Amino acid sequence: MTDYAAIIPLTIVALSAIAAMIAEAIRRPGERMPIAGFGLIGSAGAALASAFLWNSNAESFGVIRSDNFALFINIVLCTIGILTMLFSHETIERDGIPAGEYYAITLFGLCGMMMMAAATDLLVIFVALEILSLAVYVLTGIRRASATGAEGAFKYFLLGSFSSAFFLYGIAFAFALSGSTRLEQIAVALSSQAAGAPSTLTFLTIGLLAVGFFFKISAVPFHMWTPDAYEGAPTMVTAFMSTGVKAAAFAAFVRVFLYPLDSLQTQWIPMLAVVAAITMIVGTVVGVVQTNIKRMLAYSSIAHAGYLMLGIIAANDTGKAAVLFYLLTYAVSNLGALGIVALLGSAENPHDELRDFAGLWKVRPGLSALMTIFLLSLGGFPPLAGFIGKWYIFSAAVQEGHYWLAIIGVLTSVVSVFFYLRIVVMMYMTEGVETVRPRLPATAIAGLTLATVAVFYLGVLPTKVLELASESIGMIF
Amino acid sequence: MMLSITVFLPLVGALVVLLAGGRGEPRDREPLIRNIALLFSIATFALTLWLWWHFDPTTADYQYVERYAWIPAFGIQYFVGIDGISLFLMVLTGFLTPLALLSSWESVHKSVGNFSFFVLALETAMLGVFVSLDLFLFYVFWDFMLIPMYFLIGIWGYDRRVYAAVKFILYTMAGSVLMLIAIIGLAWAHSAQTGVLSFSLLDLYNVQLPWRTEFWFFLAFAVAFAIKVPLFPFHTWLPDAHVEAPTAGSIILAGVLLKMGTYGLLRFAFPLFPDAALYFAPWLGLLAVIGIIYGALVAMVQPDMKKLVAYSSVSHLGFVVLGLAAMNIQGVQGSVYQMLNHGVSTGGLFMIVGMLSDRRHTRLISEFGGLKAVMPRFVAAFLIITLASIALPLTNGFIGEFLILIGAFKWDWRLTAFAAVGVILSAVYMLWMFQRVNYGPVTNEKNRALPDLTPREWALMVPTVAMCLFMGVFPNVFLRPMEPSVNRVIERVHSRQAARAQAAPAGRVVHATPRLAENEAPARGRTVTPPSISDND
Repeated sequence: MTDYAAIIPLTIVALSAIAAMIAEAIRRPGERMPIAGFGLIGSAGAALASAFLWNSNAESFGVIRSDNFALFINIVLCTIGILTMLFSHETIERDGIPAGEYYAITLFGLCGMMMMAAATDLLVIFVALEILSLAVYVLTGIRRASATGAEGAFKYFLLGSFSSAFFLYGIAFAFALSGSTRLEQIAVALSSQAAGAPSTLTFLTIGLLAVGFFFKISAVPFHMWTPDAYEGAPTMVTAFMSTGVKAAAFAAFVRVFLYPLDSLQTQWIPMLAVVAAITMIVGTVVGVVQTNIKRMLAYSSIAHAGYLMLGIIAANDTGKAAVLFYLLTYAVSNLGALGIVALLGSAENPHDELRDFAGLWKVRPGLSALMTIFLLSLGGFPPLAGFIGKWYIFSAAVQEGHYWLAIIGVLTSVVSVFFYLRIVVMMYMTEGVETVRPRLPATAIAGLTLATVAVFYLGVLPTKVLELASESIGMIF
Repeated sequence: MMLSITVFLPLVGALVVLLAGGRGEPRDREPLIRNIALLFSIATFALTLWLWWHFDPTTADYQYVERYAWIPAFGIQYFVGIDGISLFLMVLTGFLTPLALLSSWESVHKSVGNFSFFVLALETAMLGVFVSLDLFLFYVFWDFMLIPMYFLIGIWGYDRRVYAAVKFILYTMAGSVLMLIAIIGLAWAHSAQTGVLSFSLLDLYNVQLPWRTEFWFFLAFAVAFAIKVPLFPFHTWLPDAHVEAPTAGSIILAGVLLKMGTYGLLRFAFPLFPDAALYFAPWLGLLAVIGIIYGALVAMVQPDMKKLVAYSSVSHLGFVVLGLAAMNIQGVQGSVYQMLNHGVSTGGLFMIVGMLSDRRHTRLISEFGGLKAVMPRFVAAFLIITLASIALPLTNGFIGEFLILIGAFKWDWRLTAFAAVGVILSAVYMLWMFQRVNYGPVTNEKNRALPDLTPREWALMVPTVAMCLFMGVFPNVFLRPMEPSVNRVIERVHSRQAARAQAAPAGRVVHATPRLAENEAPARGRTVTPPSISDND
């Protein structure tokens, strides 16, 4: 039994995905079925299971390890899953998306993400990466009638396949270097080699693996797919993949670069620093000129990837814990904001252009206030979650003396505040046309409440979660 | 406990207002909302007075201290307390907020509930800035303050309000994020020296930094505060923000927000980085004097009264910075006093402009003239506040500017000479404006039937005028309690240099700053100047 303990959270999510699939199969045409419920049960169950496994350090088959690091990411991912399900319940049906497929694929994607966070073998990481990628490709194009959806999905798929190939190639070189794909054996092999001059092989390994990760976290210059995919996908899919894929990819990124490749820090830190700086700058500067909210949040997510990379570059305990905490704050803020965009839309109008928000304050004061809170959290204003996240990440960078990166980070966050505020200006300071007010379903209210409470809780009383985050990194690294 | 109650009472009020507003915007709830908000702000003022009443004026120590662990993993505490400097800034905040609410009684009709919410939330943030003794906590309040002000300008402002609001928030944020980096860097430096991570001001005062680090950290802090003051050349956001903000916003902006910049210099930038502060003091003084004269000259040519008052703030705040840069007892006491004066008198001027703007919907000087015949009581109040702003003896402005000039003269007579020109210029632009608005024949027919002060406006003018005169006649009521605290700051700033002077044996050259010592070659004629002097840090 202990052999299987580590995969219990994964299994729960996979089972709920299968249940969603079966439900769709036996559903009579036209019959309404609360399939989102399976997703909710699955995500909540996996979160509970992860909580029970805390400190157990269980390992399955030598390739999946539920250390606290993986479990923390699991809980982040389950939060993402729960919020996605809550917001999707109403919006998916409205947009005419086949519910069973949508939920099943989302849950399989979630399963892949959890696996990626817990995998301790490069090949398993690759398999997990493919599971989640395939799910997300399909989700991006799930509105078959939509041309932008198809374009985004195709672009994402093509570029994604390339990057997977790079990643796989990197695994091959890592194997050539160390004779294994297990992270701990690679670590042993590399640390014994590290004394000598780094070979071309190590450069190739680092570079190719990094490219694979850069693509998934949408770091510049591997970000080209992000705006198109985010804009083309249904809004809730955008929300799911901008937070979930990022969390999973960063988990694996941290695990690979700060464990087996840790001894090669001097080689990869300068490269990562350059990429992080460019990512932060491009993400915010290009974000300023966007007029579509989803594209804007796509560029914002690129910038946030840059901030998160500072945690890896710092390469210390503060940095690792900061990445974990930041992923959680980013997830709740971004899901909240995109969830509101999704809720405001209708079958005809996705409500994702900036001008759609004009005068929203007059018609939907509550939603406008919440949107403002989520956007300010993304911008890093106290006393909201995003502030603590940014502060934690920049602390890590400053601790290691990376002042320049921290300065670029804070200055670009000022620029990002400019475009987050463009939405606020639209909502509060622009006259708009009176629009119909779609009634908020109970599930959506639950989701918004959860996200808002989380944003304030993480912003005002972050102690508990910060402690959990720093506990999480102790066990493996 | 009283301190926290004072700080958070307005926030409670803000939430109550929000609940009382309920859904939608029923007009009949407006008076209720206004009265609740006013009640909470007056209660807060009463609490600040209570704090003053029970304040021990003989000690420089922080009083009403509360200290709880907040984020223990990072040594972050909820650590608050006040000394003689922050006490009066709190009282000022408490004094001005009810007036700000009262001033918008008739001019703000759009969504009164939200308006009151933001004003009260802003008050909590301002009070929080003045009581924080933990740098992290301070930064949280400091940054949070931008949001309500942004909404106040952006929703309830005049024509170009969105531009002004966005400029305000981005400009001030750009400065303060660099300070955040310096705060973090300082905390890590403390951790490296003592092994304990702490953001407590009292701990961080003891950090010894290498000169280069101190240089940059001081700059980061100083720029953040200079933008807020605003010190020339960082002042460009201020005219926009002031002119576009609603009257209540201008009162709070000029009355309290600008003081956070000078308060920050005095509480954080100078004592945390004394060597760098003394090194940069001449430059700060120079910029301050440029600001005094530039602000006055630009104010002189403004056709818009509100803009004139806004530029006069640049000039007046220049005096405050000059006094701080002098870093002696008269200069600093004068500065702190001038912060309070400027809050009262400029707040009063914005109320006056607001009253005229409410009546005529214009603020152009050329639209008015001969108001003395039409609304004599209004003009009387206007006159006293104008004279206070010019710093006539027996008004509050005189005490502050006089002390600053004495202090500055002891420090650098050349800068002081130029600053004194600013005193004359302020008389020129204020009196000229006053004359064009109030004297002469009534040139504009629309002005003939303007009503004089209403009871609500009496309630605005009486306390303001009373404070202008009271502070001018009895300055010791305020100066005595702040003296120990001011002395302590000055001692702290000078102590490190004094210690260095003592440590160096006679015959050796002791330099004003380590930087100069580095630059000077040992073989430059004087007696032995071993390079070790510069390594004291």
